[in-house]
Amino acid sequence: MAVADDALLRTVDLTRHFRVGGLFAKQVLHAVDDFSFSIKEREIVALVGESGSGKSTVARLIARVYPPTRGEIYYRNRPIQRLRSRRKLASYRGEVAIVFQDPFSAFNPVHRVSHGVMRNLVLHRPELNRGQRRREAERVFESVGLSPRMLDRFPYEMSGGERQRVGFAQALAVRPKLIVADEPVSMLDVSIRAGVLNMMAGLRDQEGVSLLYITHDLASARYVADRIIVMYAGHMVETGPSEAVLAEPKHPYTQLLLSAVAEARDDAASISADTGEPPRVIDPGEGCRFRWRCPYAIEACSQATPRLRPVGSTHAACHVA
Amino acid sequence: MVGNRKATAGALILLVVVFAAAFPGLIAPDDPQAIIYAQNAGPSSGHLLGTTQLGQDVFSQLVWSTRLTLLVTVIVSAIATFVSMIIGVTAAYVGGVTDRVLTVLTDVFLILPVLPLLILLAAYLSPGITSLVIVLTITSWAFQARQLRSQGLSLRNRDFLVAARARGERAIYIILVEIVPTMTSLLAASFLALAVFEVGFAASLQFLGLGNSSELMWGTMLYNAQQAAALESGNALWALAPGIAVAFLGAGFALANYAFDEIGNPALRPVRRRRGRAPA
Amino acid sequence: MVEPLLEVAGLSVDYLTEAGDVRAVDRVSFTVEAGEFLGIVGESGSGKSTLLFGMTRLLSPPGEVVEGTITFRGRDMVQLGREQLRRIRWREVSVVMQSAMNALNPMKSIGAQLEDTLDAHEKLSAEAVRRRSVEVLELVGIDPVHLRSYPHQLSGGMRQRAMIAMALLFTPQLVVMDEPTSALDVVAQRSLMTKIKDLQRTLGFAVVFVTHDMSVVRRYADRVLVMYAGQIAEAAGTEAIFTSPRHPYTRGLIDAFPSVTGARRELAGIPGSPPDLARLPSGCRFHPRCPEVMPECVGREPELYPVDDAEVRCLLYARHAAEAR
Repeated sequence: MAVADDALLRTVDLTRHFRVGGLFAKQVLHAVDDFSFSIKEREIVALVGESGSGKSTVARLIARVYPPTRGEIYYRNRPIQRLRSRRKLASYRGEVAIVFQDPFSAFNPVHRVSHGVMRNLVLHRPELNRGQRRREAERVFESVGLSPRMLDRFPYEMSGGERQRVGFAQALAVRPKLIVADEPVSMLDVSIRAGVLNMMAGLRDQEGVSLLYITHDLASARYVADRIIVMYAGHMVETGPSEAVLAEPKHPYTQLLLSAVAEARDDAASISADTGEPPRVIDPGEGCRFRWRCPYAIEACSQATPRLRPVGSTHAACHVA
Repeated sequence: MVGNRKATAGALILLVVVFAAAFPGLIAPDDPQAIIYAQNAGPSSGHLLGTTQLGQDVFSQLVWSTRLTLLVTVIVSAIATFVSMIIGVTAAYVGGVTDRVLTVLTDVFLILPVLPLLILLAAYLSPGITSLVIVLTITSWAFQARQLRSQGLSLRNRDFLVAARARGERAIYIILVEIVPTMTSLLAASFLALAVFEVGFAASLQFLGLGNSSELMWGTMLYNAQQAAALESGNALWALAPGIAVAFLGAGFALANYAFDEIGNPALRPVRRRRGRAPA
Repeated sequence: MVEPLLEVAGLSVDYLTEAGDVRAVDRVSFTVEAGEFLGIVGESGSGKSTLLFGMTRLLSPPGEVVEGTITFRGRDMVQLGREQLRRIRWREVSVVMQSAMNALNPMKSIGAQLEDTLDAHEKLSAEAVRRRSVEVLELVGIDPVHLRSYPHQLSGGMRQRAMIAMALLFTPQLVVMDEPTSALDVVAQRSLMTKIKDLQRTLGFAVVFVTHDMSVVRRYADRVLVMYAGQIAEAAGTEAIFTSPRHPYTRGLIDAFPSVTGARRELAGIPGSPPDLARLPSGCRFHPRCPEVMPECVGREPELYPVDDAEVRCLLYARHAAEAR
């Protein structure tokens, strides 16, 4: 897959493992393996997967919550893994911000909702004085559709949808080029999701911000994203333009996901056989991690891990597609 | 909280004790040290609790001893709570080797045999309040450290802490500004729980001789009464009154602690049924 | 005419708080026929879960049923004493909760819990207990070897199935489910729903299914109740509600779901958020958010008006209903 030179952010073989099983553990959980992708300016890329797919781990790796086990992250073609100085790290954090899933625990109940915005401004926009910071806080609140009067509220005084918008406001305060949004609407009521999704698309169009939208919901991914990446058990299994991936999915897992959410009233035969078992990510070894659930698995699937290659109008990691 | 009878009772007790500590002269105008009265007298209108072997008014002594007793209790509890908070939260937040080291440290102090330590320290420290505070703090900071560490652990992966890390905040900032403020009711409850224990423990240590018998504290009163064989010689009040006072103060702290149970966990609030509706 | 299996009439549930009583469910009435799949849809604060708990007499203080009747096979469950309720529970009506991990005992094996449930309601020999346990596990598609497994050893989907197996031990007439699939991934969800529908067809029990997910209701329910702020906003057959939704809230809700197939359209959502039940708007509870609000909506509370085969709580249809008489 050709790497775009104008990529805003690029990852190469990003990998993260966790040791599990207690003090003298020897088992390794492969949360993410060999994740390579790029995202351009003014683009929304959706990372779609179920629990255990590794999508949240990717978000946290990019937000530098913890370092990768292997692999590199390039921001504007500069590797950020080596960044040690506080200044350089802070500068990266001022360009790439993260928004969390749970609007109920993403806020410290002891502080007002302006706290996160203000801290972000203090840490990442030191050129502003106090008055300017206040005005900037009001500006970002307005750009997410919240009244500046809400700055002095406490989290418990606001609804889930409002708090999620505050999450985006916090991210916007640093004037990022990329916002990583980890399941930002999953915990919101359905009628409120549309507003937040539209706001996200607006951020791309009006503020020129790129978004990496992490979700398990294919439908909302289709709605906001330009491109979709499907993950399973820590691996990328398919990627391509949203409409192409959904219209003609090539990877069996994508097909499974799609048939699980499609609206037609008849039940596809392949679905009733699959009970949705969680993926095996502990010491998985070589081979395709979907092979135990795949109706098309062949011998090659247990011998070699498939790599992404062009198939039709998308890229899929499958020996059979 | 007004409806919480236990906490209100505790608050009242503490209020009485604080008042006695602040204004002892208003309650007991007699000089507690003055050796001017009849010796070993029984209770009377002039001497509510009788007199000591030396002729001091027991009631006066009791009231005037409140101040030091309360001060020592509060100071020790505060220091111990603070130390256990720092150690517990740091262990939880920083994790890794630091956590293991601090946990081992906590465990060591938890299982320290107190009496042998006392004997050791008594040989080196001069009896008195300072030694008392040192010994008490050393032997009791570890109790709450584990609990505070657990609380810290449960908070560790809360999204708002991950968000603070993602913002680039320093660890010290996170501990002091993001974690500790959410633990205020737990810290208050820890403080009160510790205070219950300290009141009794301080008195016990003094009873065993670690205190300075000329300092006015309930524990030293117990010591003096014991030295004078008060119980055997029929002056039961002198021997019992300080002990009851210790229990009284301990109960005050324990009851007051119930206030925090409910604040921390609204599920524990009793359901108060009302007839009819409140005006809209 | 056959008597409905369950008839709820004018049910209201209040939460008694220090600041006043809050009505979480307001005079809700509906029926469930034998073998029917009824979907109750709503968002936060709609009262759907409270309704479910109230219906099955599982409310604990400060929640309380304050008026109405719940008639199950001719008996009013509100009036029944504890012993009589106990006899109905599980044998005729069983409940599947939202999260199996909350309902299953982590310290006991699945087999032990099935045995406990069986023993609680009937005297059976050990052999009969084992036989029935194996039977229900096979019914839900769990290998009977798992009788010895503990909940944490099973996947989320399997745990939910174990819950359903437990609910079917006495082949009840009615199974009430509170969002049993929301904690699962989409594939597991689809698989579980298919199994539930399957079982319903074979064993013939009725299902009352509470959820926030319209798409589940669309695929599996026979009839739908849409709840808003403690009241029924619209009640109709599934087909009718999705092809011609009448209440503006129902329309907004359906439109708020993006789709994976078909043309891409603009999502509107519904501005604002559900009202605080302690501070309800005057007149129609939905009027502050309604795209079709009329002046009279602010002052007048709508009733449930019959419109063809549906019932709609909206003043837009008040005249229509009056004319139909």
